[in-house]
This record gives sequence, structure tokens and C-alpha cells, in this order.
Amino acid sequence: MNALVALCHFCELHGPRTLFCTEAVHPPSPSPAQPGSAIPGDRDREGDREGEGLTMRANSSATQRADMCEGCRSLPASHPGFVSVDSETGIRYLSHQHPRQPQLFSVVRQACVRSLSCEVCPGREGPIFFGDEQHGFVFSHTFFIKDSLARGFQRWYSIVVVAMDRIYLINSWPFLLRHLRLTIQSLQNTALKVFDSEQCVCPQRAVRMNSAFSPAVFPHQRSGNAARSLTSLTQHQNLWASLHSSFSWLLKACGSRLTEKLLEGAPTEDTLVLIERQTEQEEEMSGWDGAEGGGSNSQSSQSENAQAKDFQFDDGRQEDLIGPKFKSLRHLRQVLGTTDFRQLTWHVLMGNQVIWRGADPGLIQSAFNVLKALLPVGCVRAVPYSPQYEEAYRCNFLGLSPDVPIPAHVSSSEFSVLVDVLNVERGCVIPVSDDDLLSLYQFNISSANTQPTDKGPTLLNKIEVALSNENLSVEVVSLCLLCLKEEWMNKVKVLFKFSKVDGRGKEDTQKVLALLGATGPGEEDNVRLLKFWMTGLSKLYKSHLMTAVRGGERTLSQ
Amino acid sequence: MPFDLENLLIDKVRTHFLGEPDECTHACMHTHSLCSVTSGILLRMKIKSLKKTTARWFIPEDALRNSWASAEFDLAQIRLIVYQDCERRGRQVLFDSKAIHKLDASEPTADETKNPPNRSGACHIGGQASEKDKPPTYQYTRPASDVNMLGEMMFGSVSMSYKGSTLKIHHIRSPPQLMVSKVFSTRFGSSTSGSTNTLQDSFESMSQTFPSHTSSIGVCRVPSAPLLCLARSASFFAAHSNPVDMPSRGHSEDGDSGIARSASLSSLLATPLPSPGSSFSSGCASSYQRRWLRSQATSLQHGPMPRWSTEEMFNLSDESCSSNPAMVRRKKIAISIIISLPEREEENHNFQEFFFSHFPLFESHMNKLKTAIERAMIVCRRIAESSQRVQVYLCRVMEALGEFRMTVWNLYMAPRISEPVWLSMISQSTERNLLCQRFLKEMSLLMEHGAKSQFLSALLTAVLTHHLAWVPTVMPSSLPPIKPACQKPASQTVDLLAKSHPYNPLWAQLGDLYGALGSPVRVCRTVVVGRRRELVQRVLYVLSYFIRCSDLQEHVQPQGQMNNPANPCTSQTTDPTSESERTNEKTDPLKPSLSVFETSEKALNSDLGDAIPGTFVDQNDETLLTDRKSTNPSPSMESTTVRPECTEMGQECFGEDSDSVGGGLEHILANQSPLLHRVQFHIGSPREAENDGQASGLTGAGYGRGLDRKLHQRILSDIRRNESSDSALGDSDDDETSQQELYMSTEQNPFELPLPNYQVESRASVNHFGCSLLGGYCPQYMPDFALHGISSDLRLKQCLMADLEHTVLHPALDEPVAEALCIVADTDRLSVQVVTSQRRVCEGGRMGRDVMVSNLIHTLITSVLQLYAYNIATDFCVMHLEDRLQEVYFKSRSLAEYLRGQTRVHVKELGLALGIESSDIPLLAAVASTHSPYVAQILL
Repeated sequence: MNALVALCHFCELHGPRTLFCTEAVHPPSPSPAQPGSAIPGDRDREGDREGEGLTMRANSSATQRADMCEGCRSLPASHPGFVSVDSETGIRYLSHQHPRQPQLFSVVRQACVRSLSCEVCPGREGPIFFGDEQHGFVFSHTFFIKDSLARGFQRWYSIVVVAMDRIYLINSWPFLLRHLRLTIQSLQNTALKVFDSEQCVCPQRAVRMNSAFSPAVFPHQRSGNAARSLTSLTQHQNLWASLHSSFSWLLKACGSRLTEKLLEGAPTEDTLVLIERQTEQEEEMSGWDGAEGGGSNSQSSQSENAQAKDFQFDDGRQEDLIGPKFKSLRHLRQVLGTTDFRQLTWHVLMGNQVIWRGADPGLIQSAFNVLKALLPVGCVRAVPYSPQYEEAYRCNFLGLSPDVPIPAHVSSSEFSVLVDVLNVERGCVIPVSDDDLLSLYQFNISSANTQPTDKGPTLLNKIEVALSNENLSVEVVSLCLLCLKEEWMNKVKVLFKFSKVDGRGKEDTQKVLALLGATGPGEEDNVRLLKFWMTGLSKLYKSHLMTAVRGGERTLSQ
Repeated sequence: MPFDLENLLIDKVRTHFLGEPDECTHACMHTHSLCSVTSGILLRMKIKSLKKTTARWFIPEDALRNSWASAEFDLAQIRLIVYQDCERRGRQVLFDSKAIHKLDASEPTADETKNPPNRSGACHIGGQASEKDKPPTYQYTRPASDVNMLGEMMFGSVSMSYKGSTLKIHHIRSPPQLMVSKVFSTRFGSSTSGSTNTLQDSFESMSQTFPSHTSSIGVCRVPSAPLLCLARSASFFAAHSNPVDMPSRGHSEDGDSGIARSASLSSLLATPLPSPGSSFSSGCASSYQRRWLRSQATSLQHGPMPRWSTEEMFNLSDESCSSNPAMVRRKKIAISIIISLPEREEENHNFQEFFFSHFPLFESHMNKLKTAIERAMIVCRRIAESSQRVQVYLCRVMEALGEFRMTVWNLYMAPRISEPVWLSMISQSTERNLLCQRFLKEMSLLMEHGAKSQFLSALLTAVLTHHLAWVPTVMPSSLPPIKPACQKPASQTVDLLAKSHPYNPLWAQLGDLYGALGSPVRVCRTVVVGRRRELVQRVLYVLSYFIRCSDLQEHVQPQGQMNNPANPCTSQTTDPTSESERTNEKTDPLKPSLSVFETSEKALNSDLGDAIPGTFVDQNDETLLTDRKSTNPSPSMESTTVRPECTEMGQECFGEDSDSVGGGLEHILANQSPLLHRVQFHIGSPREAENDGQASGLTGAGYGRGLDRKLHQRILSDIRRNESSDSALGDSDDDETSQQELYMSTEQNPFELPLPNYQVESRASVNHFGCSLLGGYCPQYMPDFALHGISSDLRLKQCLMADLEHTVLHPALDEPVAEALCIVADTDRLSVQVVTSQRRVCEGGRMGRDVMVSNLIHTLITSVLQLYAYNIATDFCVMHLEDRLQEVYFKSRSLAEYLRGQTRVHVKELGLALGIESSDIPLLAAVASTHSPYVAQILL
């Protein structure tokens, strides 16, 4: 808990004194300062530390030392204090006679004086809450300790818990009271035993009654032995160390008395798929390591893992690519022109194989990076640049060097699209701006597809609206795209559940499609998109539905 | 009334026996909540038999949990004393409810407090008084004998020089009572004492505008024969003491710096910092940030930092009164509420637990009482005739006290939703399927009921717009799932924060329930009005899924544990056999540890030599002591420390186990600290990856400071990144190093002792706001509940505006609030309105404005319920609902991003480009304000 605990004593000679103080020091953390503004009170604290604060502390302890007796002291000045570290949280609990943090000195002093000489508690023993914004808030519990040599055979103490969070402190009242009572009773019982044994040896009441009373001598006579330390009153040699432990525990237990369980949203499908891929990769790598025992292999796997950890798309970052490249979907659209772009993205969204053939792997890679953003992560299988053709089941993005022939069954298939990147002949290499890709390349798009690509899917229509609106920044378009993808992923989930898990008939499925807003214009494309995207669901999600469903059906059939 | 209910219940039970499965559910649910209200034995037996046959609909639970009180709470248990401490005249009792008796012709000596309301009926004190033709006449007798003592306790034996209001709580042993008192400095005259800072000024001026509600409550007429003059009766208190300046030392007394600090900090609180805007990497950011700021604002390490509204005065300003300001500055007024505690130990315990955990609410009502007393004093001064003056005064204060008593009684006794859907789903994951089934069933019935008027859509639009705590629960987690993949994980960042920088979880929960997550901070409540109990309860039940908050768990010491670490003298008082558990006490303690101390022995004082070696250091700790110069937390401690908070963390998620699925991942991820896998999304514009260099050294088990710091750096750097491009000042190295020094503070090498082991039992906390502020069908309107139902809006209409204004002036949330709102859903008229503290006048004498149905919400509900109608597993339907809510969140992000660069908003463009319809804008803007505070400024 963000609080401190102090044991205070009303010394018959010196008035209210702080005896022992346990503070919780939290691990430092950068604070979210407003740019341009200093941390509140920063300068003040600086002053405290270097000037006034320290001198004040030094002064006060000096004056107090001159003016202190056994009864107002716990640890001698030379004692380094106690510390306990909560290794889990890094919180350190420090105990000294006075708080170490200068700004808390007066806070504790104030709490001590108020608890022992200002606030009134019926019967003088019991809990009080008091305080204000200026001096902090205090839960105080006053109590007596038996002392055969003290006036009235008892001395007056208090334990104060000081915090700035008023409500938290008040909320903790029952807890603090319960445990401080234990502490106090334990001290009282121990002192009572000492008291009883002392009284057996030398009954003070008799001594006092028999001694002649002289007003002049009285204060001096008493001051000699009256101010006994709490250690002596309890005959507990390790009292301060024990109190340190008790107080530290109290602060920790009070702070963790209540814990919150706060839920956040389930990870998105993209996150899950990335995690799964990383896991698979790691497993593969460890498999290879076992087989070959190669050092170089494990190194490369580590670097790959590091990449995957950042959840970059598996291969090649945009920044790493040298030379001309596509920067965004909008850029790609500008370069290809709206018709070709539409055709290309339609194929991407339908899950057809997208083949780019050209001499510049960097450019092709950048095109894939931009296009991949259209799909859920789970739907992307890319072979960025290959010396030979790869089948569609292996990859839906395929980069090829210019001379690689496309097999006939592929070039005649309506399920593939080919983009040939041709270098525009130039006399010499003039540094051209990357934007001007058209001055460098020519893009030829060809596909055997005979279906119209201008009707659907709905998702593509919406993306095109966003892309064509130049008022929208690239970031807004990205977020738009993310929204659309999440929206359609949620439809995919429903369709998966409905058709694959529950195995509903066609009629029912049609109803659900209507419900999902997938029917109407472009329906055919929407359905194709949904079916393709289903393949991109995470394994975790799919198997969760498969297992959860059994439970669900059971309850339904009951 | 109870009789009717019984009949109703029995009817319901009959329908069940006729064998209507659907009806039976309702009867069940219905009787369920009813039996807590009526508590008839016969009834409960019937319900028992019902339970057996309908087991699959029934969620086993403690049916009677929805009230705290195990016995009647007597209104006379609450006593009010108003005391004045005047420099010249000493202390005077200005009011003591114990010394006041009501004189009434029809009911001689009928003190209304003698008629406590029964549980099924409302507590109608204020109403009774004003309904009658004759105003009550009060007799003021000699104050009780304890007032002197109580006065001492309120003011203290020494007057404080502190000028603001102070709060004290005392526990009086016999008779057992709790006393809560607030002492105010008085203010006469109309001029406000100036303050240098503008924020403070605004609070000041706000606190001067009086809520206007007092006028709506019946005005007491002046009776003819007063019995005793108040002024005289109060004058026999002569206890007098001079104000004494507290012996405080120096810097914190410095007024100027104090104000400067408070200003900057309160502005920090009032306008939350921008949270991650472009990155999706910290799903919990807004929850986290709110809590982190709280822990910083209430940190002891920063020393005292007055936060806000410290200058709360007792206002007696009135033009007719002219007095010497220099003199009256010294006058203080104490308002004290004394609550007699129940005699039975268990009841006493229950009440105290409730009282202290709900203290902010009690305090808020005390402030309301104070305002009423202020007004009573001002009003009565205008009356020339002294006996009349006293009667007016007494009458008004008694009325205010009646209100207070009633509110407290209602707060303690009102029925609660016995099983709020959201909290139940969090806490009882095994019952998830049943909960989902029941929830969807109720929701679809509700949808049918109000289909024409889109009642449910309107209501959910309003609720989701204002009770914003659902937003963090759908923000996608960036952390790999620990258990069942598709379920909601518990926030680990917040969990870690709570451990390293504790804040008050109750405060966080209260803010959640009131939806105080946006910027500027708004608080909201929802009241469902309707004569058909069943219908209202259905609405409440459904809403308890959407009005969300964190679940609280309590970790307590097991009863009867021998070695309580709070006991410092265990070694001497308890059985030595149990000692081995603690670290101390060896038979020959000096031998093993001497070597450790040899080197430093000379430096040690003799006292210390006695205190330390051996007893507290056994062999295990030797390493600690030798290592103590390196201040790193020792890993060897880890094994001995019990970490109760960890047991639940992340493990219990939002659904049933699916080991086959989760197992693999769990295994793999267990080896790495989950925080190291922060997901970064790169759509269209990849960003440079952050390095994770330091990460490699940390493993899941070894987290501690390192991880904690890393966590902060990550999240805060996320936050900073979005603040502005020139955030060069972002890294506050200086501050960090100073904190570092303090934290390390190694110059003296203190003796390291292990933290005591402690065993704790974890249990669901009972006394938290999630349980208490989701009310059931209440007999009367309640100003505190985040959600409750009532049969008639009569009292609501009377009180609501004043309550909302009061909430802004004295928020129970303990932080400044910009606006207070109330959603009023009328199930009879099928209307949903939002009433706000900001707009007083509404067209046509209506309370608030009708809610515009968000198309997004309407389609969301429709499709969820349609799936349910297609007989898809309810568990899946609820998951789909969450997915759709997540879509709303994503949309709010694109709206925020769109607004980032804009000065004007083109609604048409929003529709075309982002697919955001105008009906969705209020909802999306509110959601966006939780993660992108600048949105509110642009849209205003």
C-alpha cells in the first residue's frame, strides 16, 4: 500500500515523538510528463533534497537528539535501519526512527502530534481517522503500555498509518484495525508480563506511597528512570526488527488485500495466427537443430524468431527493401490505374494465385507487402521470389524471375492472375524518385478469368471508396481497412460455425448470409471471399469451436 | 404490499406446475429476486421444489445475497449533531437529533425514527412529512449527556490552523458507535476568497451554486408554540480553546508551492493524457493509464499534494448578515453523523465492512446534508421571531436528516441484482453456458417486447455510449492467450501495476461502473422505470451484461492462524513449535551468522548487535546479508514468498477449458515472459520495430523490478509517442535518477530482513461496488446505484436534477467530474432519455432528451439475436456479440484517426469514407474519447 506506518509515543518529558517508521519505497518509474511541463512539484522536491529539506531534517534530529531520552528513541542514530524487499514487485520496505524521505518527515511528525495530543478518543485507546489534503491522511490507534515506573503505571503510544489516498485508507479501516489490534495486544501482553514480574520484585505502588512527596524534587526524581525504552518495557531484544517485519507485512498485505480482475478483449485472429506461425517455426527449427546440430541454423532461426516476435509479416520489411517500391495500397492503385488495381485486388481477395514476374525482387516484395494487408494473416502464403513456379496450394502470392515459364494449366486457369513487370528501357541510370514507378516499369496484367470483377465483393468496393478519397490520410485508410477486415472476419466466423461446425443445410446458410449482409449485389464474390477467408482462421479458434460446440449442443438438446 | 407479492409468487409457481418451460424460467428468475425482498419461509420452500425441476436453468448461488443486512437497520441508529466552535463564545450545539422530539396531535411523541420501514416497503420519511397537512412541530430538549465529549472528539483538544474542511472518523466502544464528522470553516459575505489558480477557482465557483432541489421539497410551515429556544439551550457549553498552530515543519506549509502543485496535478487528473493513438499494441492502455495516474496522484512519495476542492467552507453568506470577517474566519462548524452499531457481532461486522468500503457514497450524502443545513441556517436567519426561527430551522434540518437516513437505509437495504451477468461470467466460468442461455433468452424477449419503438436498441445505445467500461474489455489483447484461445484474458499489465504501484481497486471499480473512462470525465447512472416488475427486472438483468466493471477478490488471513505477521512478539507469546515457519528463533542462533557480521561488527552499535544476529537470520538468509550491498532483490526470496495475486491471474479466463487446444501454446509461452510479445500491427504503413534487446535476460519466473520497469517503459513510451512530435522532454531522466537514489538509498546499508511469509485465503469480495451498485427492482429511486429499477418516476423527477448537480459538486469518485448523466428507461412508455447536469431546461417539461438509436448498435443486437433464433449455441452468440462490440471499438479508432488532422467534421464524408452514420457518431465519439482524448475537443 502506498502508505507508511509509524509507532509514536507520548513522552512524559518531551511530548509526542515518532519512535519508529516503516515506509514503502516503490520502484522508480518514468512518469508520463506532459511535454513541456515539469513534473508537478519537481523543483520543490529538488529544493527539499538539497537545501531546506535536509537541513530541516538535520536540524530537527539534532535538536531532538539533544532533547531525547530512552523513551523517545528506537534505533540509535548510528543504526542503519532495516530493509525488506518484496522481490516480486520490487517494493522496498525501509524502517528507521524517522522517515528517510524528507518530504515525509513533517507529515509523520504532524500525524504523531495529532494522534497523541490533538485528537480525542474516548477512553484514550482506540482508532481514529483524521487528516487533510495538506498534511496527508492518518489512521491512528492509540494504546497504553504498562510501565511499573511510569506515572499511572502506563505509557501512551500510538500506531499511525499515513497515506495520501483518503478513500483507500478509509476503505482499509477494518483491515488495519484488525491487524493493528493484534500488534498492539501483543505488545501490551508482553509488557504486562514484564510489568507483573517487576511488580513482584518491587511493588512500585508501595514504594511511591512510602516515599515523601516533594514538589521541588519531583520532576528531577522521575526523569532519571522514568523514560524507559519500549524494548525495556517488553524485554523484547529484537523488538524493532520484529516491528519492522510486522509493519512491512501490514503495508504489503493491506496493499494486496483487494485485487482486480480486469478482462481485456480476446486477441484478434491475426494475432492468434501470428503466434501459431511463430510456434510452428520454433518447433521446426528445434527439430532441425536436433537433426543437424548446426550452429548457423539456430542462429538464423533466432533472427527469424526475433522478427516474428515483432509480428512483422514473415519476409522482408518495407524499410529493408532497396530501390523503388510500392508504399501503400493507394500508391499501388495510382501506379496500376484503377481498372488494373481493381482486377488485381479482386483476385487477391478471392484467394486466387497472384503471380508477379519481374527482375526486381524488391519491387515485387513491396507489392506483396501492400497487397497482403487486404487479407487476414492466415490467408497469406507467400513465396516472395522463386526461380521456378510454385503450385497454388503452396502460395497465393508468388514472385518469379522474368524468365520463368508459367505452366499452361496455370495460365489458362481463371484462378490466377499474372503481373509482368517490364523494365522501361533507358539510356542511363538517373536517380528517379520512387513515386515515379511508371517511368521505370511497365505492368501487364493478364488472367484467364472471365468473371466480372467490378461488382463485388462489398469489402473491395468500400476499400476503393476510401482509397479514392484523397482527404483521408494513409493512417485513416489503414484503420478503415482494419475495420472492414475485422467486420468480415466476424462474418467468416459465423459462417464457419454455421456451415462447418454445425453443418447446417443450404437454406439455413442462405439465411445467415442474408443476416450477415453478404447477399445482394456482389453476393457471389462475397461468398467466395468468406469461403476463402475461412481457411485463414486460426487453428486455435477452429478447434475451440469444434470442442465448445459439443458442449453447446448438449445443452441445447436437453 | 408483501401480501400481494406472495400472491404473485404463488401464481407464478402454479404456472410452473402446469408445465410451461418458458414461463417457468421467468417464474424462477422472478421468484428468485423476489424472495430476497419478502423473505417468507413458506415461499422459499416452494422455490426449493421449483429449483429441482428446473435445474438446468438455475445457477446455483446464494439467493439472498442481494442485501447486506442480516437484520433490520433502524433509522434511529443515525444521529446528527451540528456543533459550532466560536472563538468568542466557545462551543455550542446547534443541533442534536437525539434532543429533538416531534410533537404531533395525532401521534403523540411519535418520533418518526420509531417506525422503520419494513424491507419490502420504501423508506418514505421526507415524503411523509410533506404529504401531511400539518407540518411537524419539534421540541428541542436538553442535549444528551455525551455531547461534550463528542464535541471534543469532533474539534480535537487543540484547534487546527488548517482552513479547509477536515474529516474525522471515530469508533466509540460503548455503546458501539461510529462517528463521522466534518469540520468546516465558515464563510460570511458574498466575496469569495481569491485563489491564484484557475482550476481551483472554477471548483470554487461551482461549489457556490446551490442545487435547487430544496425548494421542491415541501416547505415547513411555522407552528405557533415553540417550546424551547435553541440559542439558549445551546449556550451552556463553555469549553473553549484557542487555535494553535500545528507544530509543522516548514516546506509543506508553504502555501504558494502547495497551490502550484495542486494545480498542475489536478489538471493532470482532469484531462487524462493522450493514450496510444496509432498503435494497437496496448489494449488495456486506457484502463492502465487511469489506474497509473491514480497511483501517482495518491502516492506518498510525492509528499502531500492537495488535489482539488480543498477549500470547502461552510457557507453562511447572506446579504442580510453583516459581520466582521476577521472575526468569523475563526468560527468553525462541525457536522457529525453518529451511527449506532448493531449489537450482534456478525451484523456489526457486516455493517462496518459495508460502511467503510462504501464510504465515498456516505460522504457524498453527508455533503448533501451539509448543504441543506447551510440553507436552513441562512433561511432561518431571515425570520425575526425567534421561536419561529427555531422551528423553521429544526424543521428543515430534520427533513434533511430524514433524507439522509432514508438514503443510507436504502443504500444498505435495497435489493440488488442477484446475479449480474457480466460479473457472474467473469467469476463463474463453469456456468458460462447457462449464463449465456439465460442472458440471450432475456434479451430476445426484451427485443420482442419493444420491437416497434426500438426500445432495446435505444437503451443499449445510451448505455454503451455512457457506461464506457465495456471498451477496455473488447480492446484486443496484444498478449498471447494463456488458456482457452478465444476467451478474454485478464489484463496482466494492470495486474502488475496493482502490485508494484498499488492504487485503490474500489476506486477503479466505481469509476468503471459510472463509466468515468472518457475525457472529459463523465459519470452516468441508469434507472429503469416501469410498473411491470418482471419487465423491469428483465431490462436490469440484460443491462448487467453491458454495464461492466472489474471483479474484486479479497485476500485475507485465514481465521485462527497462529502466526499472524502483524504480531511482533510471536516469539515470546506463542507456541515455539510453530516458530520454524517464521524465520527467527534458533536454538543456537549466534553461530551460523556470526561470520556474516564479523566484518561489519565494528560499525554496528551494541544495541544492534543484540537485535540482529541469529534470531532473524538463519542460514537461508546468509546470502542475503552478504549480498546486501548489491541491492537487487534476491531471487532466493522468491521461493518463500507466497504470491496470492498470482493464483488467479490469467488462468481463469472467460470460458471452459479446452486443454487439447491450449496445451501446446501454454507450454511454449510459459517459457517466455508474455510481455515480451507485444503485438504490433502494421497495416499499410509498417513502423520500425522496437528493439527487444533487454528482453532476452528476463524469463517469466524472474520478473520483478526488471519486468515492471520494462512494462512501464513500454506503455509509457506508447503513450508518449502519441503526445506530440517534439516530445524531447518525454524522458525525465532527472526525475528518474532521483527516484532511483531514493529507491536504492544504499548509503547506510540497512539490515535486510525477509518479508514475513504469509498465507492468505482468496475469496470473492462481497463488499464491492459491482455487488452493491447494480440494484434490483427497488421500492424507491436511489441516487447512488449505477443501475436500478423503480416502479414510479415520481421521486425521480423530484430529485434527479439536484442529484446530478450534487454529483458534479461532490463526486463520490474522488476526482473532478465534468458532467453527470442519468439514462432513464421507461418500460411502460418504451422511451429512453438521457438527463444531464448541464442542460436544465428541456422542451415540453421533459427531464431529458430522447436517445437517437445508433444503427451500429441496432444491427449488432439484431444479428446476435437472429443467430440465437437460428439456434446457434448461445456461447457462440455471446462471443459474436463481443466481436461486434470490438468492431465498434475499431470504428472508434478510425474515427479518432480521421479527426486527428481535422478542424471541421464532415458528417457526409464520415458516412462515405468510413461507413460511419450520423446516428453512430455520439457513440463512437464517446468510445474514442477513452483512447484518444482529443476527440472530445474537436467534436465540441
